[in-house]
Amino acid sequence: MKKYLEIAKAYMKTQLIWRWDTFIDVVLAMAKVIFAWILWSILFEGKEQIAGMGFYTMISYYIISSYLFQLDKSSEISQQMTNMLRNGTFSKYMVIPVHTQAYFVAMAAGKIVFSACICFFTTILCFYFSGISFVAAINIKILFCGAIMIALGLLFMAELNYFLGILTLKFEEISTFLMIKDNFSAFVTGAVVPLALLPEWMLSGMRYLPFYYVTYLPSMLLIGKQG
Amino acid sequence: MKNNFKFLSALIKLRLSHIMTFRLGFFGPFFIDTSYFLVQIFAFEAIYGHVDSIRGWGHGEILIFIGTFSLINALNMTIYFFGVISIPEKIQTGELDLYLTKPVNPLLRITFEKVNPGSIPLLLFSACIIIYGAKECGTSFSGANVIGYLLMILLMAILYYDMELLIRCFAFFVFSVNNLVKIESTAIELCLKIPGIAFYGIYKVVFYCILPYGIIATLPTQMLIGVLSLKGILFGMTIVCVFTFLALSFWKYGVHKYESASC
Repeated sequence: MKKYLEIAKAYMKTQLIWRWDTFIDVVLAMAKVIFAWILWSILFEGKEQIAGMGFYTMISYYIISSYLFQLDKSSEISQQMTNMLRNGTFSKYMVIPVHTQAYFVAMAAGKIVFSACICFFTTILCFYFSGISFVAAINIKILFCGAIMIALGLLFMAELNYFLGILTLKFEEISTFLMIKDNFSAFVTGAVVPLALLPEWMLSGMRYLPFYYVTYLPSMLLIGKQG
Repeated sequence: MKNNFKFLSALIKLRLSHIMTFRLGFFGPFFIDTSYFLVQIFAFEAIYGHVDSIRGWGHGEILIFIGTFSLINALNMTIYFFGVISIPEKIQTGELDLYLTKPVNPLLRITFEKVNPGSIPLLLFSACIIIYGAKECGTSFSGANVIGYLLMILLMAILYYDMELLIRCFAFFVFSVNNLVKIESTAIELCLKIPGIAFYGIYKVVFYCILPYGIIATLPTQMLIGVLSLKGILFGMTIVCVFTFLALSFWKYGVHKYESASC
């Protein structure tokens, strides 16, 4: 366990090298919220609520879901794996005394911890500048459940990307799978539009998919909409 | 000019025979586009199932708008997308050298060397959406409107290309353009969900003149439904000319400053 902790730490420190990447990450998180603000301020014209959500609840949802979406750095796993398998450098993981899968999960965890701290301040800034008071669930049990769900959701995404990376052993190139995964996961995690806006039958179906629990449910729990 | 056409035809033939070798690669763009298309349709349903109209545009007009964006995106994916997105990698690895030393315009070759017919079905899906939207509108469109619409689609496909090229040309000067591409896709995602007519104030300036994704599907839609004024047409043409000039100048400047990967 200790060695994986060290791997996570090493990758967390590596993030400090790419300061501009971190800056752009922050800008991107803010851009997502600003764009959501523009979109929903237009759609809410003359309306108090859409699908049971007021304008500020909707923006709170976007700020939190954007934060959670930014946290997920695991898509780099499949990209890195495919590149390394293609140019022959993947063998380095076979000669070091670690479990490859756990190595990549630890790597993603290290990056996430760094990103979580940076993006947390962005989220605070978003709430501050938008003038929205954070509509959080006060119940400590719900907050705890939300935190566990976020951790499990991020672990699921890391495992999914590891699995997609392994496909390089079977297929000439896997970018098709990755792009399809990106398209669907952005939608089914609720990062594009809140799933509450979908018809009930579709929402019920999504509950059986793990993506539902990655961004959407924790965000809804944190704004106190479900419990 | 004649030589360029001959070159393009040979390039496309080579490309087609190459992608036939890898069947998954051939159908890849089709699956990608279909997934993207389905996601957009679901997102449209999710949003506009709760909103009746936006600034006077009802469901019919919005459907034409979504179909138009999808049509331009399909043209982009079929003709130049896979070529243009390879520019940053070519710059970083020094592969661009091979293009610069050949007696052919390097940009012309990069643009058309990865033509992919896998996205052609998406053109048909998009056309179906547009026809359905036109039926929902309940108005008949004149021949002049349809011809004007097709010309606008062509112009906007050029603008889309200009924007893609401009962003990828930053690779001449920075280590990675990945985050710029993320900002690009976030802006496209927004402009795909709401028509340009809904923007106001500073947002209108940004999405009409600085990141003109806001006009890409809006102007053709306005042209088809017959509400685009002469001023609007001239504005669209000016923006396309300006961005084409900027993109080509930026490319030339980048090539001029390019020192190859070995330097």
